[in-house]
Amino acid sequence: MTQGLPLAVDGLTKQFGPVRAVDDLSFTVAPGKVTGFLGPNGAGKTTTLRCLLGLVAPTAGTTRIGDRDYRDLPRPLHTVGAALEATGFHPGRSAREHLRVLALSGGIALERVDQVLAQVGLSQAAERRTGGFSLGMRQRLQLAAAMLGDPGVLLLDEPANGLDPEGIAWLRGFLRHLAGQGRTVLVSSHVLAEVEQTVQDVVIIAGGRLVRACPLAELRGSAGGVVVRTPDPEALRAALPPESVRAQDDGTLLVSGLEPHAVGHAAFVAGVELHELRAATTELEDVFLELTRAPATGAVA
Amino acid sequence: MTTTAVPRPDGRPRLLRAELLKVASTRMWVGLLIGAVLYVALQVVSLYFATLTANTGGGPTVPTLRTAEGVRNLFAGAGGAYLFALVVGILGMTQEFRFQTITGAFLAVPRRGRIVAAKMGAYALVGAAYALVGLVVGYLLAVILLAFTDHAPIGLATLGQIAGGAVLGAALYAVLGVAVGTLVRNQIAALLGALVWVLLVEALLVAFLPAVGRWLPGGALSAVLQSTGLGNATYLPVWGGALLLLGYALVLAGAAAATTLRRDVS
Ligand SMILES: Nc1ncnc2c1ncn2[C@@H]1O[C@H](COP(=O)(O)OP(=O)(O)OP(=O)(O)O)[C@@H](O)[C@H]1O
Ligand SMILES: [Mg+2]
Repeated sequence: MTQGLPLAVDGLTKQFGPVRAVDDLSFTVAPGKVTGFLGPNGAGKTTTLRCLLGLVAPTAGTTRIGDRDYRDLPRPLHTVGAALEATGFHPGRSAREHLRVLALSGGIALERVDQVLAQVGLSQAAERRTGGFSLGMRQRLQLAAAMLGDPGVLLLDEPANGLDPEGIAWLRGFLRHLAGQGRTVLVSSHVLAEVEQTVQDVVIIAGGRLVRACPLAELRGSAGGVVVRTPDPEALRAALPPESVRAQDDGTLLVSGLEPHAVGHAAFVAGVELHELRAATTELEDVFLELTRAPATGAVA
Repeated sequence: MTTTAVPRPDGRPRLLRAELLKVASTRMWVGLLIGAVLYVALQVVSLYFATLTANTGGGPTVPTLRTAEGVRNLFAGAGGAYLFALVVGILGMTQEFRFQTITGAFLAVPRRGRIVAAKMGAYALVGAAYALVGLVVGYLLAVILLAFTDHAPIGLATLGQIAGGAVLGAALYAVLGVAVGTLVRNQIAALLGALVWVLLVEALLVAFLPAVGRWLPGGALSAVLQSTGLGNATYLPVWGGALLLLGYALVLAGAAAATTLRRDVS
């Protein structure tokens, strides 16, 4: 395995005729972590990934793998593995032959082909023509292709699309495992919930612009918290750190920066009666929606 | 970046092997080869009957099989695989765009021109192979047909000349096909355009305006094939025709490198 390299997108802009798909976008991605690349449909995720891979020429700005342009990598498939949306298989070619072609092109030992097929659970289908593959099988084959060169950087565009629940669970573990080995893993998705359990960092874009780039925990901080319902809000406020409690429209209190057990304990010690106590997990998705909605509508206006 | 223990294979043969595996791993080449063989067979058979029935009416005289020229024309019909070589080259390139396999190819080899160069090399071999198979089938058929006919003898040297021209011509036409496919990435457009050009526009120009026609790809091909006896004095020498064909392929590929090959792949 080659080592994980940081990725840098700097002032990236891509104009497709009248459409500005990516607009002055800058962010970095660190090795050793899984980074979620998030944004609603049409946000510019795929375009950004294609720019990073030298497939699409930026209108302005630069993209770097480590300190190089993708096109200047001496052994690209050993350095970066990519699984992009949009197929890319000859329907009449078998999965194994597809990978053998790529291995030859990339200067990769042909033994790797059967290894990666086994890794993604496609050994049984190796001889079958890809034209008959299901969406999930295609995704697995894309992933196998990305892993061929045992690269230190993985760019995966919506890899969970079409995977069954078992496949998704497997993918999560797989990505964490890869990042744990020190690789750089960038995974795009338009649903935060899908990658919430996998990613440490998030890069959120909307309308081609950066909305937020931060650790997921930070996003949780601004999102999560604990929802509490009590007949005596003032007593509970007094029992909790100041500034951490906010009243909500539905009569509940939202406590940020604390875990549910801590809030429950504080209430118990202060003798405050609670009618409801739960983690506000759904809030994270709401924050994501909120974050990505505003600039998109702003761009239209 | 750390270097692994795996030695880095040299780029050129590796890419050529990849391109040959692309050809071998789908069925496209089989269908076109069958087409080439059928076409050659048809051409030999129709040439045979044309010479048999010729010179009975008032039309232009055709050399009969009692002349060396007539026999040579018959065998020359075995060298007709070049059109299929052109088509296989066009399909080989355009299907990469059609099925978006070009994305994987460019990821593996970001210097896009090297992919095109390797593909030209691979399809030169495919075109030459088509010509060889066509020659074998066509020669056999001609020998069988001549067994039933009073005919002039034909020397091995002449057969070798015909074969040389046919193989070279088909290889170069396949290379030209790859170049056309790189410039015109749409499969249907590239195929239709090339066929209309070769079968109609150019055929007419070569026939009626030989002074212009000899400088066109079709005229250059005729020059390469002139050892087959189908050519005439207005064509370039064989080497001139071969260079001209190669030049066309390189100019088209160069034009593609400056335009379509740079385009975004998405
Ligand atoms: N080749 C192209 N030509 C014209 N417009 C394009 C092209 N590629 C992308 N776009 C436009 O650029 C914008 C961003 O597209 P992109 O595919 O990058 O979004 P995305 O974030 O990947 O969306 P999704 O979640 O749907 O995959 C869209 O408005 C899209 O229509
Ligand atoms: Mg996309």
